[in-house]
Amino acid sequence: MLALQARALSKTYRKAKRPALDGVDLDVASGQIFTMLGRNGAGKTTFLRIASTQLLPSSGSITVLGLDAVKQAKELREKIAMTPQEAETVYPLTPRDHVLLSLRMRGMEKAEAEKRAQRALDDLELSDVADTNSDWLSGGLKQRVIVAMALRTDAELIYLDEPSIGLDPLSRRKVWDQLTLLKKTGKTIILTTHYMDEAEALSDNLVIIDKGKVVASGTPRSVKAAVTSRATRVDVFDKFTQNELEAYGHVVSIAGRHRVLTDADGARKLGDTAVERGASIAIAPVTLDDVFVDIVGESEKEEEHEG
Amino acid sequence: MKGRQTLRSLWAIMYYLGFTPMIRNPLFVAFVFSQPFTLLFILLVVSNGAALPYGLAGALTMVVTELGLFVGTDLASYKIQNRLQDMVVASPVSPLVYMFGVALSELAFGAPALVILFGLIAEQGATAAALGSAFGVVMLLWVTTTSIGFFFSAYAPNTQNAFVINGFITTFLSVLPPVYYSVDALPVYLRPLAEAIPTTEAASLFQGAMGLGHTIAPVWGFAVLVAATLVMLLLVSFRMKWRES
Repeated sequence: MLALQARALSKTYRKAKRPALDGVDLDVASGQIFTMLGRNGAGKTTFLRIASTQLLPSSGSITVLGLDAVKQAKELREKIAMTPQEAETVYPLTPRDHVLLSLRMRGMEKAEAEKRAQRALDDLELSDVADTNSDWLSGGLKQRVIVAMALRTDAELIYLDEPSIGLDPLSRRKVWDQLTLLKKTGKTIILTTHYMDEAEALSDNLVIIDKGKVVASGTPRSVKAAVTSRATRVDVFDKFTQNELEAYGHVVSIAGRHRVLTDADGARKLGDTAVERGASIAIAPVTLDDVFVDIVGESEKEEEHEG
Repeated sequence: MKGRQTLRSLWAIMYYLGFTPMIRNPLFVAFVFSQPFTLLFILLVVSNGAALPYGLAGALTMVVTELGLFVGTDLASYKIQNRLQDMVVASPVSPLVYMFGVALSELAFGAPALVILFGLIAEQGATAAALGSAFGVVMLLWVTTTSIGFFFSAYAPNTQNAFVINGFITTFLSVLPPVYYSVDALPVYLRPLAEAIPTTEAASLFQGAMGLGHTIAPVWGFAVLVAATLVMLLLVSFRMKWRES
């Protein structure tokens, strides 16, 4: 069963030169963690805002939990929750106040809300600071408070716009654990992130959006396979020019360093040549990070050529 | 959301955005007192106590005006800075419950000032009927100024501007017009302009309730307040959109 279905969804903001979303088709199955990847301004947040009934699309259709997100927004809002990007805590409320505000505002009874709030605070390791003024907390703790506000609602679908931004690696994993546990309770989670490892570790399915268009979609594994048959990456630090490296595979050059995406045979050959030359290289399996840089980097190049 | 859930929702917004900050940070309450009571004090000293009733009417008008306009600042803050409004839109909470909840939360900050001012007005010898009438004017003026707050919050591009706009409108509505003084003190050619400002009408009705006589007919005063509220709510309904387009 589908939790979300978008067809030819487009959005052009007033005075904008190009659409923020340009004919997006997307299916999200129920009970999954679905991740949207893309650069800043790619259209991820615009999509989330339309899907969470905050913004009207310019054209196209979007159905969420069987309801038209444009025409049946009121009914849909009973079933969703949202963690916005770059939200700030409210002074002088404590983390517990924030979670209770979120739960009780949705009409939950006090006893139930208190029980769920304590659980959300425990789950995100906020219990020690639960009754501390949020203004005194670090940026990472504040971000966890914002995530906690959506975590224990009775929503069937939760949107999280860059939930792990500003979190240290351990905190990020704590959030991942909670999202995975939420998924097990049957909830659908749609999130945006810039962290490829996060998308790879969490997602059942993902989509890469660039300049308002879907440029790749599927499981993390299938996206990697579809985009590149080259399963190995070789980072080359010196003694090779870009032209020379192109003989071994697809080269992505960033900040003077070359990364070659290639197959096992190409990696072996490049390795042999590097040993002969005494060059510094590092060989590793391709990650989603490489795929992202590959896709989005190509799109940038095309734009430069068109320009 | 059903009836009881709606009430719980309203209470939660009022409790967490009004009562809780008020208890945690009494400065919020002191801030509501600061300007109205400073002007009241100056008037009291300058007039040797003779202008106390005008001062009380002015302070009451200014406190209610501040409370209404603060709603605009808070809404702008919750929308732009905290992104709380984004969470609320994507939830079962209706726009009416959210806005009414924020407006009531603001009233909580002003409750101590209102209690003190009503106490002082009663001490001046106002009858129960006069106090009841003043309370009615407070409610009406609160709705008027809150709708002005809603309207300007929709135009605030950032929280800094929201504070500046708020300060400017507070001065324009409750210091310049005949709020701390009688409308009769103004040159005749300025009176029609002053009488078109809702706070002038409210102050005049408060002055009447304290036995200073009605410089403006009470019916006209109520009519201006109601008309101003309707106009502002109409403008708000055009400008404010729960879902952006």
